[in-house]
Amino acid sequence: MNHQLHKFKFIFTLLISIALVACVSPDKGRNLNDPSLKGNEIAIQSCSNCHGITGQSTSQQFPKLAGQQESYLRAQLTDFKGHIRKDINGTQYMWGMTNLTTKQIDELASYFATQPAMRGTKAQGPEIILGESIFKNGLPLQQVLSCSSCHGQDALGAADIPRLAGQHNNYLYKQILIFQTTDDRPRGQVMKQIIHNINDQQARAVALYLSNLNF
Amino acid sequence: MRQYSYGSTRVRKNKDSQNFRISLNKTFIVISALLYFGLVGHTKALPAFARQTGQSCVACHAGGQFPELTPYGRIFKLTGYTIGTQGNPFAAMVVADVTKNKSNTDSTSNTTIAPLNNLPIIDYGSGFIAGKVTDNLGGFVQITYSVYDKQDSNANTWQGHLGSDNTDLRYANRFISSNNDLIVGLSVNNNPGVQDVWNSVSAWGYPYVAPSGNASGFNGLPASTILDGKFSTQVAGAGAYAYLNKAIYIELTGYQTATGFWKFLSQGNKIGDPNHPLTYTQGISPYLRVAYTHDWNEQNIMIGLIAMNANVYALDPITNLPQFGPSTHYQDKGIDAQYQYLLDPHTVSAHLRFVRENINDDTGQSYVGPSRTNSIFAKITYTYRNLYGADIAYRSINGSPDSTAYASYTNTNAPPASPSPSSGSSNSNTPDTKLWTPEIFWLPVQNLRLGLQYNVFTQYLGTPTNYDGKNRNASDNNSAYLYAWVAF
Repeated sequence: MNHQLHKFKFIFTLLISIALVACVSPDKGRNLNDPSLKGNEIAIQSCSNCHGITGQSTSQQFPKLAGQQESYLRAQLTDFKGHIRKDINGTQYMWGMTNLTTKQIDELASYFATQPAMRGTKAQGPEIILGESIFKNGLPLQQVLSCSSCHGQDALGAADIPRLAGQHNNYLYKQILIFQTTDDRPRGQVMKQIIHNINDQQARAVALYLSNLNF
Repeated sequence: MRQYSYGSTRVRKNKDSQNFRISLNKTFIVISALLYFGLVGHTKALPAFARQTGQSCVACHAGGQFPELTPYGRIFKLTGYTIGTQGNPFAAMVVADVTKNKSNTDSTSNTTIAPLNNLPIIDYGSGFIAGKVTDNLGGFVQITYSVYDKQDSNANTWQGHLGSDNTDLRYANRFISSNNDLIVGLSVNNNPGVQDVWNSVSAWGYPYVAPSGNASGFNGLPASTILDGKFSTQVAGAGAYAYLNKAIYIELTGYQTATGFWKFLSQGNKIGDPNHPLTYTQGISPYLRVAYTHDWNEQNIMIGLIAMNANVYALDPITNLPQFGPSTHYQDKGIDAQYQYLLDPHTVSAHLRFVRENINDDTGQSYVGPSRTNSIFAKITYTYRNLYGADIAYRSINGSPDSTAYASYTNTNAPPASPSPSSGSSNSNTPDTKLWTPEIFWLPVQNLRLGLQYNVFTQYLGTPTNYDGKNRNASDNNSAYLYAWVAF
């Protein structure tokens, strides 16, 4: 009898709990195959887990998206959706975006592009000076063009050319290596020619300099 | 994953050649399966969650090593396994292994302790049904088949065992804005801690893979607290949780014996079963979990508290039937912590758990008097490029001397079978044991793990040497464990 009573209480409590939680409107932004969802719902419920709700990710494992060029974001999402961008981290984390609609991609790009711009760190040291020189003047003896000639004096980017100012140092460094040594990002093929002679120390320096910028 | 206890350990006759041939044949089959699913078809043969999210294992598992969860993996679980798209929910895993004990012979009876020791075997495998059901409802259901569960000593054959394993069904909702983030949910599960998202708890804690008792005999500690897995697949729990701003987690769950409607959570365990008896609790056993978490840069930390009370009926020592009436009262309190550094190519994770269990036995059958048990677990892992890794773990247990719970040595070095509340046979009547386990592993593809562990006992049942009064030392229980673990 005692067992029966406990069982009844157990099931009753469970049912009440389900009713309480279920009575509020459920969020659906975690469904990556629902064309009716708006981009900002997907951004908040799914993308934010790695990139932060405003695109200001804390981990260098994931790029900051806050204030990134809208056209660039749209292009990258399209490439992830079509499995065209093949760098290792991109495939590991982003290849699940295959069901996004064009409208959702536009909305996602707009959502992150309109967030307050990514904020840089405040590192100091001789590497920053070297990085700034490479960014602004390139490495003429190594046939490395200045980054600023495309990305802008303040590294804000334009259209399909990404903003670099304030991006994670480690992420930028890894992208340089990807462009330099692989063809995993076909849309950035031009970078291969520009930075093919940059060495490891120089790549780290320019990445550190850019991660330090606040505009 | 299932961690095997001493419950199925028996002293057996030496293996015969027939068993050996069967083992080799099965090993050939499993190696073929590993090659097919793990090496040849890995890009198409991802487990259910990876198919659902379209992401690699490394997105949710730290360093790519399952089941350790990344911050994203924790959110995936707390939101009810609902991120992604509905798809094929079926998955499976197989563990093939070989264990070699330093000494596998009982010196008194001159018999073999673990009959499958030093034999390559397909040890066990699991089937999974996992993934999202709706945008708010999802689950993880594991069913495990142990190939070598018990031996028919007359026919020299082995019988397998099919039963429920870790199960966690959830309903979750998330309310998130730029200022607040609240996840609330309900979980129905069958193992206190299986609903947890940190790998410092027992249900998903180290060792993630271990040999069955008939292959090892000395796998892990000889005694455990209820928070260290004693109720696994014995109980049905229903609880509610909330996670606020990725900082404060609180959960309350009630457990009772999984019978009747809840029987699906304890399949494989039956009332009065000689090898897999069902544990009966008196009333509902409350389980409380509180944790504080913090993420910064590529690092995150968790510090938590766990508590559980349970009243357990004694089992008849002959029939294994529950004896309803007085019960044994367990009060467990634990503190645990987890640290992670996650930035490709480096992954570091560290776990710590301390549990104190106070026991009062009104049955007079399991303990002589009030008793106390302390268990400690610590582990640190490094993984490089999600491919190569090494870890070292320390596990220990100590407790009040008790001549009933930790009965003196009888006729075997191996601990007695369950349902003894604290399996062990100690000349000093204590469970005090210390175990170090270094391990190296390799993940050649994301769903295949190959590893080698070595278990080093520096103390066993109260002493480093002659723990049984028959000159067996703790170090005699050391073992090497080589395994292949594939999921597809």
